[in-house]
Parts: sequence; structure tokens; C-alpha cells
Amino acid sequence: MMGMSGTIGADVCQPYRHACLTYEDPAEFQSAARDFLGAGLAAGEQVWYLAPEAPHGWDITPRIVTLGDQYPEDSVIDPAAGLAAYAQATEQALAEGYTGLRVAADVTTLLRTPAQVDAFARYEIQVDRYVRTHPFSALCAFDRVRMGDEAADQLACVHPVSDAPFRLFTPHAGRGDAALAGEIDETTRALFLQALDRAALRPGGDELVLDGHDLAFIDHNSLLHLDAHARALGTTAVLRTAVPAAARLAGLLELTSLRVETAR
Amino acid sequence: MRTGAAEGHAGYFHAAVRYASDDELLAVTVPFLLGGVEAGEPTFVSFGERTAALVRSALPRDSGVRFLTAGDVYARPAAAIRSYRRLLTEQTAAGAGQIRIIGEVPVTSNTWDWWARYESAINHAYDDFPLWSMCAYDARITPEPVLADVARTHPRYALPGGTHADSPTYTEPRVYLSEAHPPVPDPLQSRPATVELADPTPGQARHAVHAADRGQLPAADVEGLVVAVSETVTNALRYGAPPVCLRVWSGADRIVVTVTDQGPGPKDPYAGLLPALDSAAGGRGLWITHQSCNHVAACAGDDGWTIRMIAGNTHVA
Repeated sequence: MMGMSGTIGADVCQPYRHACLTYEDPAEFQSAARDFLGAGLAAGEQVWYLAPEAPHGWDITPRIVTLGDQYPEDSVIDPAAGLAAYAQATEQALAEGYTGLRVAADVTTLLRTPAQVDAFARYEIQVDRYVRTHPFSALCAFDRVRMGDEAADQLACVHPVSDAPFRLFTPHAGRGDAALAGEIDETTRALFLQALDRAALRPGGDELVLDGHDLAFIDHNSLLHLDAHARALGTTAVLRTAVPAAARLAGLLELTSLRVETAR
Repeated sequence: MRTGAAEGHAGYFHAAVRYASDDELLAVTVPFLLGGVEAGEPTFVSFGERTAALVRSALPRDSGVRFLTAGDVYARPAAAIRSYRRLLTEQTAAGAGQIRIIGEVPVTSNTWDWWARYESAINHAYDDFPLWSMCAYDARITPEPVLADVARTHPRYALPGGTHADSPTYTEPRVYLSEAHPPVPDPLQSRPATVELADPTPGQARHAVHAADRGQLPAADVEGLVVAVSETVTNALRYGAPPVCLRVWSGADRIVVTVTDQGPGPKDPYAGLLPALDSAAGGRGLWITHQSCNHVAACAGDDGWTIRMIAGNTHVA
């Protein structure tokens, strides 16, 4: 299930390379990290393993990095500084002759407060933008039992590949300013609005283009929120989606700052 | 400036035409239409094929009367209100002192209940326009209970000779719409439901509708029902009271869905037919539901407040 493709139904060939695993059994992370990093080694990448528990029974040898060396242990992460550290490490790996850097990290133990989770979600969004254009890939794991479903969902939904019912992430080049996937309705709306706020989207061109290629459903209230969000940004948003009802709903709601284009 | 029988009337002048012969229909319709054209008023006919041809043949060539396709206008009550309000807004913005329309809504026993609600609601929904409209009913083929509803939802009858008679049983829309108008049970509902879910999430409800789709309906109809059911379950969770029960019946040419909760249902008597200004009450979701299905009806019963939605064929015995 935790493949790195995450492109089911999409017409893109390249994988998203930024996945999230929210597990209940630590063995799930061990197994997923082993496969993820093994694929990186096969591709000539430098591979890092960051987790409180050392890998056991593995037939590969990643670089073991202490969590505290890469992330702040008792404060909130500075998203820009956190990303800069990985960008530098990626450049270093390339300089050393690797094809890229691949990281499997379980930082659950570092996220104990809502402020830490909030900052980390913003950091994940920045990492996701970086991953789309650099030879860096990451498997981010969070212990659902330890941190709780709400915090785990907040982090999972800002990854292109995760078990979150809806996801907001950076699309592939040329496909827009942000991608929405999964189902956005009453049960996921709070998560959606929080992710939208954390993403601090800005239009790359004249309009804010939202790639809804992998969107399965969006309800009318969420369209109203997107419309209001675009208006607050002083822009017009365009949602490109294959959800047939979305354009009809947008027409009924007579939205002024959100246009829905039906894409096949 | 208003003319004819509506002269001096403020707002909507709503009349029914109950005719027993084609001649009787024309005796009311033709002077009404030509009087409108003569007064320079935008004048429209929204009739079905047969009656439209009848009226057309009785009018002079290039009469100036505009014909709308009843099948499009009267596909769904909430959509009819939306498109008429848009038309009326345009016409008044263009300077019309009065707009005249004669139409006929679909009279089939299975869907009449929501057209009866339409006929009642428009007394309010069109009242901010200088509209004079007539709704024609053929007494030869219209069932007696429908004619009784016509009398209760129209303040007056238009008669040949340009005169009008008050309808003695006319009932204020807020009163009429607050009464129970249970829909005609669909035969599918006498069988066990294809799927029954207790306290579904909107996502589970959407999945249940998709699962009931065996390719018997156009994709757009299924998508409309999915949206409607999702909005209804969302409203039940937000504004209703648990437990919420979803039932889906998958038939050869239609899908029937009911959502029941233990709440009292919406307070706004116009809910569903008019877009609620106050989205906090869930009225917009119910309005979208009414825009997305071939029939929607709601009623309180022994097991709670139930909304029934049908996609596909509603014309079943």
C-alpha cells in the first residue's frame, strides 16, 4: 500500500516521492522504511534512517541519523531552516556522487504540542515543494497511537501520498499552484481549511490554479470556502477537476472568485 | 406601470386557469397574451407541446409573444424558480413595468407534490416582481386532488372575459408549506432496501449510492443523486438528531434513497425551493438537493424526519 507512486488515476509518469505513513504498529514503519530505502540504494541514492528505534533485521545498511541532529528536540521547527538543512544535505549527497538523498524519518517523539505539530505541518508543505523539483525524497512516519488521530491526520493530509481522506500538496510542474486529492466534505473540511491556511498559497500566474485531477468529491460548502479564500487573497482560483458535479455546483452557487473547469 | 387585471396590484398577481375545453383555454389565454404585447410588456408562454401549438395557432403571425420550452423550464421546481427569477430580474432591469407569463407545470401523480409546493412557494418567491402569471390546468385530465391543491395555492382564478374570481380555499404559502404533504410511496420502497446504513458519514452515503448504480441511469443522474444524498446526510449530521438512517433501493430504471433522522426537519417552509440566505441552517444543501434529483420530498413520520430522493424514472405506478 505504501508505494511511492501515488499517481493512481493521474496522467503523470513520475512519482511524487513524498509519502506519509501513519502507523499503529511500529513494525509497519520498519517494513515500509526498509522497502523505501532499499529502492533508493538500488537507484544510487544516499539513504538516511531517522527514528528512535534502530532498524532491525534489515539486509541493507542506511546511514543512521540521530533525530536530534536533524530536528529541534524541545522547540518548534523553523520550516525554512528545516528545509535548508535537507537541501544542503541533498547537495552534499550529489557532490559525493550519489544520485540524490532519500530519507525515512519517524519524528513522532518530537511532536508533543499543538504548536510543534502546526510548525511541522508547515515544514512538510515546504519539503513537498522542494521534493517536486529536487532529487530528494522522503517517507515521513507518525505513530497514530502516540500522537492521536487528529494530529496524525493534520500531517498526513499535506503529503501527496498518504492514507488521509483528502490531501493538499504541490502538483507536478505546469499543473498548477496546489493539488487537491481525495474527498473534501463535512468530515474533512476543518482539516482542509487548516491545510489551506498552512500552505499560504499564492498564485504563480494571474490566477491561483488548483489541480484537482485526483479529487474524488468536493461538497458545496468547501467550494464556498475556496471561493472565499481566493477572494481574501485578492485573486481568482481555478479548480480543474474531473468531478462532474463540481462545475454544476459552482454554477448554482454563482461563485465570483472560484471557477471550476471540468478536466478529463 | 401595470395594466389589465393586475393594474394597481403590488408584486405578484398569480392566477390559475381551470379549463374544460381548448376553446375555454384560448378564451383566457389569447386576450391575456395580446394585451401584454399591446401594452409593451414582455409576454411569455411556457406550455407543453400540444397546448403551445394550440395557442400559437390562435395568435396572429409575429405576435410578439415569446415561447419558452416547458420541458426545460419545468424540469425541477427549484430550478424553475431560479430561472424565472433570473428572467424577471433581467426584464425589470430592462425597464419592464409588468411581465406576463402563462405556463403549465407537469401534472403526474408521482411528482405533483413538489409542483404543488412550487405553486404555493412562488406566491412568495415572485412577489418582488411586477409579474402577472397564469397557470393552466386541464380539468378534463387533472385529478381531483391536484385541482384541490391548485385551489389552495392560487389566490384567484382567471376566467374568460378578462375577469377573475378569488379562490375560496387559497392558503398562505407559509401555512400550506408547513403542512405535511407526504409523497406517493415508490413501489420499490415496499421491498427491503438494497442497502441500509445506520449513522453513515457523507462519504459512506456517497459510496452506497455509487454501489447502487448498476449502469441503469445516465452518469449525470447518478452524480446528481450522489451530491443530493451527500448534502442530505451532512445536514442530518449537522442539524438533525441521531440516529440517522440511510436506505437505498436500486431499481431497473431508477434509484430511490431515503435519509431519516430524529430531528424536526427544517423550520423554513421554503427550504429546498429557495436558496436559503442563512447557510447556517442547512438550507443551501437542501436547495442543492432539490436541484440535483428528479424528485425530492420530505415528511415527518413515525420513524423521524425523512427526505426521499429519486434519480431516474419518477413516473411509475
